[in-house]
Amino acid sequence: MALKSAIRNLRNNPQLLFVRLPNILSFLCIVVGVVWLLLLPLNDYSRQTYISENALLPGQVHAYFTGSEQNIFRGYKKEIQALIQEGPAGLKVATQKYEYTSAGIGYQGENVYGIIHAPRGDATEAIVLVAAWKTADDELNLNGVTLALTLARYFKRWSLWSKDIIFVFPPDSKTGTQAWIDAYHDLHPATVQPLPLKSGALQGALVIEYPFENHFHTLHIVYDGVNGQLPNLDLFNTAVAIAGGQMGIGANLQEMWKHDDSYQDRLKTILRGMTKQGLGYATGAHSSFMPYHIDAITLQPKGEGWEDEMALGRTIESLCRSLNNLLEHLHQSFFFYLLMQSNRFVSIGTYLPSAMLIAGNFTIMAIALWMRTGYYSDSKPGVSAGSDTPKSKSEKPSGTVTEKEVTESKLNGSTVAERVLALPLTLVSGLHLIGLVPLWIFNTIFHQYFTAATYIFVGVDVVLPLILAALLSNGLGISRPIVPQQYLLIKSFALLLLGLSLSTLATLNFSLSFMIGLLCAPLTFITRIQGAAAVRYPISVLGLALLNLLSPPAVLIGVCWYTGVPIETVLTQAAFGWDVWGMWTQVVVWCVWWPAWLIGCVLLGSSMF
Amino acid sequence: MAVDRRKVAVFGAAFVLRLLLICLFPSLPDLLTGRVEVSTPVNSFKRLQEGLYLYTRNVSPYDGGVFHQAPLLLPLFSLLPDVNSNPIPTAIFYFLVDLVNAHALATISESGQSVQSRLHSAMRKHIRWDGTSVAAWFLFNPFTIATCLARSTSVFTTSGILLAVSNAVSGNTLNAMLALGLASYLSMYPALLFVPLALLCYDQRAQKSAQAPSSGLFILQHGAILSGSIAGLLGLSILITGNFWEFMSATYGFHLLVPDLTPNVGLWWYFFIEMFDSFREFFLGVFWLHLASYVGGLTARLRRQPLFIITSLLGVFAVFKPYPSISDASLYFALLPLYRHLFPLMRYTFFAISALLYSSLLGPAFYHLWIYAGSGNANFFYAITLVWSLGLSILLADSIFAALRDEWEQDHPERKGQEVKQV
Repeated sequence: MALKSAIRNLRNNPQLLFVRLPNILSFLCIVVGVVWLLLLPLNDYSRQTYISENALLPGQVHAYFTGSEQNIFRGYKKEIQALIQEGPAGLKVATQKYEYTSAGIGYQGENVYGIIHAPRGDATEAIVLVAAWKTADDELNLNGVTLALTLARYFKRWSLWSKDIIFVFPPDSKTGTQAWIDAYHDLHPATVQPLPLKSGALQGALVIEYPFENHFHTLHIVYDGVNGQLPNLDLFNTAVAIAGGQMGIGANLQEMWKHDDSYQDRLKTILRGMTKQGLGYATGAHSSFMPYHIDAITLQPKGEGWEDEMALGRTIESLCRSLNNLLEHLHQSFFFYLLMQSNRFVSIGTYLPSAMLIAGNFTIMAIALWMRTGYYSDSKPGVSAGSDTPKSKSEKPSGTVTEKEVTESKLNGSTVAERVLALPLTLVSGLHLIGLVPLWIFNTIFHQYFTAATYIFVGVDVVLPLILAALLSNGLGISRPIVPQQYLLIKSFALLLLGLSLSTLATLNFSLSFMIGLLCAPLTFITRIQGAAAVRYPISVLGLALLNLLSPPAVLIGVCWYTGVPIETVLTQAAFGWDVWGMWTQVVVWCVWWPAWLIGCVLLGSSMF
Repeated sequence: MAVDRRKVAVFGAAFVLRLLLICLFPSLPDLLTGRVEVSTPVNSFKRLQEGLYLYTRNVSPYDGGVFHQAPLLLPLFSLLPDVNSNPIPTAIFYFLVDLVNAHALATISESGQSVQSRLHSAMRKHIRWDGTSVAAWFLFNPFTIATCLARSTSVFTTSGILLAVSNAVSGNTLNAMLALGLASYLSMYPALLFVPLALLCYDQRAQKSAQAPSSGLFILQHGAILSGSIAGLLGLSILITGNFWEFMSATYGFHLLVPDLTPNVGLWWYFFIEMFDSFREFFLGVFWLHLASYVGGLTARLRRQPLFIITSLLGVFAVFKPYPSISDASLYFALLPLYRHLFPLMRYTFFAISALLYSSLLGPAFYHLWIYAGSGNANFFYAITLVWSLGLSILLADSIFAALRDEWEQDHPERKGQEVKQV
């Protein structure tokens, strides 16, 4: 009974139903979304990892890479130190030159690669082993390259391979693999040479990075791909199982060197993973493989310990043997997961609701605003009636007047009021299209202008909303001035679009959607302020100032200041990602976040005019 | 003839927008041509190119089983310059077809047939958009633009249907039937529109002449004209292809038997993939019967508003056709603004439109996850096509509800504005 009367109360109180309730609901959605994420590291919400693909059989084989191979390793190392770049004897070897230009910087290099043809295979499937000359941190990957060469010589002697093994030696971790993998699938730009030598469909890729001389302690596994795509969890699990179970080497992830499995450390690991996923840049040579649906990870030995290069070699041998067992492409396990420890994860079903709730809060507000413009005219009586299609009035001036009056009186009662859609629709879609301008600018200009452009853009962000708000309030030069209902409709459409884009994005890149959703959260609660000028002006100026702190360029400057990375570096990397890796984080920033933010500012700014 | 400046501005802007899009993003047409949401096996421009290649080399275009479109398109397109070296003329041809469609739509709107027909006069006549606004909704609809840029051959079927209706509302019943004949020849399913279109023509004739002609004879006459026009077009096709049965089975047989189960936005492909072969014929019959049954039901119930029957049927086709694409939805969305006066009576527009928006964003995303990223599967995309169909059906059901409510209010003026209760 209590519920029934509560519902009846709600129906009789439109102010509560259309204004207060959506605000409360939206706020709840955001809070629950964030709390949801914070709950994930708890044991009740996360799961122990497990190997889902039975064919992998991790650690079930004896790894023979020992003993005398070490002498070969030393020999190769000496030769490499003398800078003789040659593929190991007996392999088919080819080279590929490439060149990229981004933000006015040229990148060029030459990939060397060789293929071991599988004695038991038919060259329809292959595994890739990559050892770049420079690691992702720009160190000389001396031991990594040597190890790859030694393994190539060693693998050649075994008759058990049923998949070809391709050894790739790109000059650096940023461009080389991208050029190679693009050319492998014949999707390379004109500045990249095609590959003279190819094998079958790639089943998996392992990247070796061993840039220091001393023995190592643990294995750091990097798994983030471009645009937040992740490799199949089975590959990661296999690496952890082999390193930990078979070789007795611990595995780390996300640069968490001391992980005591506490709540804080788990959360920190998740958040680091989400940051990398959200930014969507390539974290290593393996990242370029991900867009082609090739699961790939980088293995980085870390720390001071007693494990030598032979232990790493055996790990890689065992991993290759596991991949060699595969009967079909890795598909059994999860592609969407958040790892919080090398043996604990949450799957998409558990974590997705948090981003969806945050995206949903915008949709809830959009629906509420739409209903409010139709059913309930707040503050100013007669607003909805006054806005009742000026077009129809001018078209049919007489004859139906009495009928019309009847309808209008009805409309103000219980049924739907007319909405004026043309201006809100045009404005919202136009502003989203304008987002292409900064997108183009920040991906095209030379790198030395990036810092200046960012600061100029902060200025533009201060001025542009005010200009737009002034134009809108004065009717855009057209005779009819904008009515309050249209402001609500503008907000409704903008939030609807934001909610739509973010929920779609959540299925592709959860972390990016979550981050943008949080940064946009204030936009739900921003409206045009009405009332006395003395109240209106200070509040809207203060609100605009606060909102400007949350504008895309301001956030970029803030983050750069906090992390100590120069703005130019970040934007150069971003432009490089756009040009070479096919990264689309910028599209989301400039065509989803920025327009929504701009419309929020315009609404707030319009209260000053 | 006085030139309507607003109309010229809208048409010009639509043309320039399309031209800008292909000049700024030269890869856009090819990208859209490859999208399953836009190009189905029966309207794909890529397949047309294949047919054209065979045709210009004197091989039967239906050899190879890729091309399934009407043969008369081939001589038409062989007149245009090669699209790979010079894509602009073909694109401009498609732009012009779009403008012709928009013009036909404006004619339909200006006739006022949607608010005031022989047997029906809407309650809210004053709430109405003029022809130019309706044409603008059509021309600036992203789905229309996508269809036009993808150079889908559905636009010719759309032209046939829109020209048929616009001729019917202007009283040129012969031209209306000829245009419908063209549309039916191209895509077969528009033939289902014959009954409501004949009713529309009949109402027009009855309104104009002093005494109404005999309805049975009128429908027979027009049925004969339609069959004659289709037969004429088929005759021309034989001249082109030579082998009559080969082309019949490759085009209409393909429509009827649905052998190609490439994903599209419709409901058939997944269903027939899952089906055991022994049930295939039965369910083909059921699906076609289901699609055709709407004609009888809607015609009987909404006899007083033949144009609304046509609109609703186009909505039904956009959901339940074997190879629907977004061009079918865009045709339905083009005719819906004619019923602007019903919008105040519709209850779920915002939800239906939100569902459509969600599915049009999530559809490509899930298709990407399925086909390219490999992290999703067919069910992802199928789920979204269900949401898309759900959104369209809600819109359809809601508009029919509004039309019925409008009729009911006319019959019971004293009950106007009262809330409906389900009994």
